[in-house]
Amino acid sequence: MTPLVLSAPLVLAAPLWRTIPQPLVLRVLVAAVGLVLIAAELWWFLGRHGGDVVASEGEQGVQEITIAVDGSYSPSQIRVKAGRPVRLRFHRTDPSGCVAQVIFPDFQRTLDLPLGATTSIELLPTRPGPYPFHCGMNMVRGSIEAE
Amino acid sequence: MSITTLGSPCCAVEPLATPSTSMERELAHELTVLRRRLSVAAVLTGLVVVATLPHMLGVHLKWLPGWFTSPWTQLLLSTPVLFWCGREFFTGAWSSLRRHSADMNTLVAAGTGIAWLASLLATAFPGVLIAEGLPADVYYETAAVILTLVLLGRLLEARARGQTSEAIRRLLQLQPPTARVLREGVATDIPVAKVVVGDLVQVRPGEKLPLDGVVVEGSTWVEESMLTGEPTPVAKGPGDGVIGASMNRSGSFSFRVTRVGADTMLARIVELVRQAQSSHTQVQRLADQVVGWFVPVVIAIAIATFVLWFLVSGNVVLATLFLVSVLVIACPCALGLATPTAIMVASGKGAEIGLIFRSAEALETAGGLRTIVLDKTGTLTMGQPEVTDFERLHGGRMPVGTLLALVAAVESRSEHPLAEAIVAYATSRRGDEEPPDVEAFEAMAGLGVLATVGGLEVRVGSPRWLEASGLDTTPLDPVVARLERAARSVAAVAVDGRIEACFGIADPIKPEAHAAVAALRRLGLEVVLLSGDARRTSEVVAADVGIVRVIAEVRPGDKAAVVQRLQEQGQGPVAMVGDGLNDAPALARAEVGMAMGTGTDVAIAASDITVLSGHLAGVPAAIELSRRTMATIRQNLFFAFAYNVAGIPIAAGLLFPLTGWLLNPMLAGAAMAFSSVSVVSNALRLRRFRPAHRSVGAAA
Repeated sequence: MTPLVLSAPLVLAAPLWRTIPQPLVLRVLVAAVGLVLIAAELWWFLGRHGGDVVASEGEQGVQEITIAVDGSYSPSQIRVKAGRPVRLRFHRTDPSGCVAQVIFPDFQRTLDLPLGATTSIELLPTRPGPYPFHCGMNMVRGSIEAE
Repeated sequence: MSITTLGSPCCAVEPLATPSTSMERELAHELTVLRRRLSVAAVLTGLVVVATLPHMLGVHLKWLPGWFTSPWTQLLLSTPVLFWCGREFFTGAWSSLRRHSADMNTLVAAGTGIAWLASLLATAFPGVLIAEGLPADVYYETAAVILTLVLLGRLLEARARGQTSEAIRRLLQLQPPTARVLREGVATDIPVAKVVVGDLVQVRPGEKLPLDGVVVEGSTWVEESMLTGEPTPVAKGPGDGVIGASMNRSGSFSFRVTRVGADTMLARIVELVRQAQSSHTQVQRLADQVVGWFVPVVIAIAIATFVLWFLVSGNVVLATLFLVSVLVIACPCALGLATPTAIMVASGKGAEIGLIFRSAEALETAGGLRTIVLDKTGTLTMGQPEVTDFERLHGGRMPVGTLLALVAAVESRSEHPLAEAIVAYATSRRGDEEPPDVEAFEAMAGLGVLATVGGLEVRVGSPRWLEASGLDTTPLDPVVARLERAARSVAAVAVDGRIEACFGIADPIKPEAHAAVAALRRLGLEVVLLSGDARRTSEVVAADVGIVRVIAEVRPGDKAAVVQRLQEQGQGPVAMVGDGLNDAPALARAEVGMAMGTGTDVAIAASDITVLSGHLAGVPAAIELSRRTMATIRQNLFFAFAYNVAGIPIAAGLLFPLTGWLLNPMLAGAAMAFSSVSVVSNALRLRRFRPAHRSVGAAA
């Protein structure tokens, strides 16, 4: 239980401040595990995982894909052919208000995603390149890669 | 932009209300859930805090039974706070983790989870810590307090986010639910969605118009302020266009519906505002990139903090507290929310006062303008030219009636705005003369027209053009000079190479023009008048409204080139203000194209910013709003960056060696919860925006 001085925003924790000699082996072990954890965590979140998913060819040349919205977009990287219409079907099962909207800034379009339903939007990426999309608060992100 | 979008069929059917109301219901539901969980969390957390009081204050409280302050009781009380009230943080964090992404939930779940888990270990195996010479303290109250504060922050933020889209909600509510439709002679109230183009709709005084259309019968005054911001009611009679959602003030009338559903002006405005709210500014792209790697980096810093403190002190409890503080103080949400909330509020506020911004970039660019080019006709002037002078020349021999009939016949073929004025004048003065048939006709854009009538070659156009065509304009010169000094546009008539007469045409300057130009200059902008009219005429108009720089005698097709020249001279970014119909290339060429709307025919899609009322005060108001918005965005981004850049090192204990201060993890949680709330609240201040120069007709 931290001693809490209510008047000050920063708290002096002097009683807790006690140096304890630790064996060298333990210190090396903690440092090594820490470094491994950092590397693993950065690799897990920032590294590239899995390939992009290619949108399937639907009727009349419309490229279609269904994206599950549950904490994130799955798949989040969608490969499509440029110059052809793309239909994205979002199925939202995540109740968080964050993902209630998906925004396509390059197309200036916003799609409202009602909970538990599938909502679709048609876009036309005319040029090759990435077309990112994200949730209303910009925390959940995905991208259409047109080629 | 090279990107086009296709209409989505699912949304085309019922463009109004449906998606938005479901969003509203969802937001309301989210708020209810958050409120319920927050109240439970607050009660339980309060109990945990009371249980820790004796230890915190270092005293023995007689009224507290021993079992209540036991770590096991605290475990019992705090566990539902974390895993019921805050379960979405944990499920959210888990599902993002599985998909290789990390967000706010990850940080909250990791921070509170670690504090709770460490306490659980201390509760179950106190001997381990005691053997180390450390007190077997538990931190259940830290985990519970942080979670409660984050829930509170989320509730406040959700409420504030609801307010950012309030403007759209209000616009959607403008449309009345039903229309009184006259079918087969019977008037019945039917839902607006069932009305089709061509239906006859009756409107009584004090009622709102349900849709766009043309008045068929009756006359009235209609207030369009809810859409255009222009408070002065407009007179409407048969043949006049009316717009849905405007308010019928005086008479009863009926109109034929011309636009329904997504085509109505209201629906287009709502769509444009939504589009603007979906777009990104350049500054946001920086924030976007930061948000992408922010959380993983914070987690790395947190682990490094734990390791370093363990190596320095060997004290595992201390190192854990620092780890928790770093995790819970970092707030990527503040970064993510900084720009979009400001754009949401500003574009909504704009719509409220009749200013439609097409994109976030329009707001951004308009905030940094240096030069503003105002088109003369229709922008600075009313755009309703009238012939005020008609002068025969000494050499002219044709009878007045015959000449005017000839002019009326020729000019009725032209689409130039001045031609309309000449036709109206000539028709009313030609007497019994019938307009002859026109055999050949050619219009020279911005110069005049050349026609053959009854074997005679007739030219009507600017004196400059006649001179350039090789005609002797010497007798015309003094007359032209006199008319132009009186701010008249001059059109001369030549028949078979001889100048017969000339017209002086006046287009009254808008009453608010002077004040609007002064406001633009106060904003530090270089104001340029651009006109196809004669230099002298334009200069007189410019002097009258207080503009120094005049670029006159520019043909319509060359206006874009003038804008480009200004840009190349380093006068940019340049805004071009025009009617949006004739000067579309110049509007497109300028960094910011602003169109002055005129009632029902608004070319809103063609411009970056549309002033719906056509009132000139809207121009400085739009620039002011843009500047305020950009200032808000900069404040927000600065705050969000500075908060994280300063907060994380403090939480990591950087100040400890210097001052002996440690940040209590609970305070770190509080700081995090309120940083995103303050970003949203700062953006909401834009709702109180009032243009310094009282906007949009309020002075009238």
